[in-house]
Amino acid sequence: MGSLAQVLINGILLGSMYGIAAAGLSLIFGTMRIIFLAQGAMIVFFAFVCYWLFVKVSIDPYLSLLIVVPFAFLVGLGLFYTLFRKAVALEDKNVSLLIAVGLMYLIENAILKVWSATPRGLDISYSGATLVFWGLRVSWLRLALLGLALVSAGVVFVFLKKTRVGTAVRAASEDLEATKLQGINSLWVCAISFAIGIGLAGVAGVGLATVYSFDYQFGFVFSIKALVALALGGIGNVFGALAGGILLGIIENLAAYYVGIAWIEIVSYGVFMLVLIFLPQGLFGRRGLVKKV
Amino acid sequence: MSLRAVSGTFARRKLIWAGLAAVAVVFLAILPFFYDVHKGQFGVFLFLVFIYGIVAQGWNLVGGYTGQISLGQNAFFGLGAFTMALLWFWDVTKTGYYFDPLLLVLSGVTPAILAVLVGTPLLSRLRGDYFAFGTLGMGMIVTVLFLNGGDFTGGAEGKLLIKKMPEGVVFNLRTHYWVALLVAVLATLVVYILTTSRVGLALRAIREDEVSAASHGVHVLKYKVLAFAVAAAMAGVAGGIYGYYLLQVTPSNVFTQNWLFYPILMVVLGGTGTLMGPWIGAFLIYAMAWYADLYIPGYHPIFSGVIIILVMLFLPGGIMGLAEKRPGRRSRGSAAP
Repeated sequence: MGSLAQVLINGILLGSMYGIAAAGLSLIFGTMRIIFLAQGAMIVFFAFVCYWLFVKVSIDPYLSLLIVVPFAFLVGLGLFYTLFRKAVALEDKNVSLLIAVGLMYLIENAILKVWSATPRGLDISYSGATLVFWGLRVSWLRLALLGLALVSAGVVFVFLKKTRVGTAVRAASEDLEATKLQGINSLWVCAISFAIGIGLAGVAGVGLATVYSFDYQFGFVFSIKALVALALGGIGNVFGALAGGILLGIIENLAAYYVGIAWIEIVSYGVFMLVLIFLPQGLFGRRGLVKKV
Repeated sequence: MSLRAVSGTFARRKLIWAGLAAVAVVFLAILPFFYDVHKGQFGVFLFLVFIYGIVAQGWNLVGGYTGQISLGQNAFFGLGAFTMALLWFWDVTKTGYYFDPLLLVLSGVTPAILAVLVGTPLLSRLRGDYFAFGTLGMGMIVTVLFLNGGDFTGGAEGKLLIKKMPEGVVFNLRTHYWVALLVAVLATLVVYILTTSRVGLALRAIREDEVSAASHGVHVLKYKVLAFAVAAAMAGVAGGIYGYYLLQVTPSNVFTQNWLFYPILMVVLGGTGTLMGPWIGAFLIYAMAWYADLYIPGYHPIFSGVIIILVMLFLPGGIMGLAEKRPGRRSRGSAAP
């Protein structure tokens, strides 16, 4: 019983990482209608930025959130206006998709050249600290990751519900054409949601750096994991994406515990396929959305 | 090929393209007689262009003509290579094995069966992006299955096929070159025949407007699955031939992202939904990758990333799109007003 609870807790904490990535993916998908395959590579890149801030100027990773996230947001805006500005207007989504693929190649291999292929991890003074209750051991850093995920999902949620730009973003993910007719600058809306998506990649990057070891190849798998989480949770809902991520984390940990580590991927992608086939709107998504997509 | 073009409506452009293609094919076919493709690097280069081009031509059928973005071609490629390798290694069909036509056909059939199994539910229930998601997931599953296949697939090391080479047969790239060229021509002919027949009309109707196609009596699912399966078969046969070149098929060789993204890039650079586009793209992209690897080794994947982005930014319609700018034809990929 105790070990099962431990597996569940580990799953929830691992899943919160997927959740942040999926929330970013969901925002970008909502407005631009592309799978931003470079999301994972961006996350790894920001993890390396966090790593450098820690190693070179010894800034605490949680403090570096204040630098990394605004930086990520600006990177997102810059990328959008240099690369995706024309492509989002096109009917043909291949173009945006392939730009994302090109970006993924570029970032992955630039990371390889700058930081080499050695896996890195942060050696923080308090990384060993664990919380023990009812015989369960939970690392404070992983718990902080869950907190980070909840806080960032909350911030994005409030932004989407309470601000004018947020409302425009929601409108654009319902129907981009109609948004234009309402006089909303659809380009700016896409730019904002893209930048927030990349900002969330910054959060996930810092989270990744604090807990896991990472290398340049980690990105692609991470993108796909985020996609699985997104499909599970349903598109168009930040907390749905987070919940999907947590669910995926639980599924993976259960699979590792009961089936074996080598088969984790089969189980999670199998669930992904089943969800796509039988439950295309996801667990928490709205039903109508899929038909329009 | 040229006869069909003449017998149809008189299309000068088509005739020119058919002529150019015929000259190119004849030149490439007789090239090994005065150039040693086995020793010269250019032979390997052309062989790999053919292999990439076959996969690209398949993706062109499903992604270009039918408009269904498949992100699972690397799975079909690898499955084809493994079908060939495992049937050979475990001595299943008791036939010739080294460039065995039966094995090459089977290495196309297996991926096609998988495509029908996966494609039918994915293409019937869902549209557009979900097909791309699903094929991506399928690719990951197939890769991990072969990695975890234990003794049967050889796991990460794969199976060593060199020991299984028949007595007295010398490994000469000339064979690979000709077989790949033959399959490349056949693949292009298949796409040509499919797209100029009723099937092609149906596929294009589906790409332009699925609902409208269905309401005009096109069996949408049947044609989408057909295109997907034919594309899978092409990737699989290419994988089988590539397996004969590697002689050690490992998951990291045949399931890599390169077999997924390079063919797509080739089609898009050449021109989606055109017959010759994939070949122009295959030649140019592979030439770039090849020379970048020679002169700036290590930086070449960065270079390919930059190339993908630049092509998408400045030439989204592809090279064939430049040549075919006719008035009245909606130029696909140009910015919407």
